Amino acid sequence: MNPVVEQAFFTYFFISLCILSIGVIASRNIIHSAFYLLIFLLHVAAVFLFLNAEFLMVIQIIVYVGGVLALFIFAIMVMNIKEELKHKRFVRFALAGVLIGAVFFSGVYLFVKDAKITEKNLPEVDVSLVGKLLYSYYLLPFEILSIVLLVALIGGIILAKKLPREDR
Amino acid sequence: MIPLGWYLTLSATLFTIGLVGFIIRKDLIVMLMCLEIMFNAVNIAFASFSYYNASLTGQVFVLFTIAVAASEAAIGLAIVLALVRNTGINHSDEITQLRN
Repeated sequence: MNPVVEQAFFTYFFISLCILSIGVIASRNIIHSAFYLLIFLLHVAAVFLFLNAEFLMVIQIIVYVGGVLALFIFAIMVMNIKEELKHKRFVRFALAGVLIGAVFFSGVYLFVKDAKITEKNLPEVDVSLVGKLLYSYYLLPFEILSIVLLVALIGGIILAKKLPREDR
Repeated sequence: MIPLGWYLTLSATLFTIGLVGFIIRKDLIVMLMCLEIMFNAVNIAFASFSYYNASLTGQVFVLFTIAVAASEAAIGLAIVLALVRNTGINHSDEITQLRN
């Protein structure tokens, strides 16, 4: 691709990702935060497409947009969100939080800004290569991950179960 | 070609925004959303390392991160739901059960 076009696309995604994530943390209504998060996740999927990771793009859309965001909106609809507009959005020491964030970002940016790269890039890969690597070399972490998901499933059911009246 | 530093700067910026949002917001669900933003920033860094090192290990790690993030969202939302249903508290500065 033409490098100028590539950089223009990257600049667009940089600016829009920053604006969308600031919109998540600064919007007053919580359902607006959820929709900003939806568009943010779709933009991150597009960034994965730049990095020759089509499988990750599909997984991002299925898992995050189809699963996690649906869970968030379900939780927002179960709770009562009318009282949100009366509360203050930010904690008292919000300025200190922004200051901590600025110090953290400057430190990471100084560490990261001239990262050296080799000339060899990842070619267009088949998804079956990812599957072969996942099921041969990373088999044990994959099994541990399945146990983690099972524990999360059972724990979520037990936590969200309605307690009987005398146990409260 | 886009240098690696640009992707890492994007990742650092998004991580910082998620961190600041996690510190300064009161609402518990928005704090969980900021955790999702931080997970996505780390995923971008993993995928860019995978691309610029010509290795698929980064993509496998992004898969692991996405699975852990999904289970974390399920557990966190279950905890917030239980808290709201049992005590009616929805904001992080009102949780004072351990005071005194």
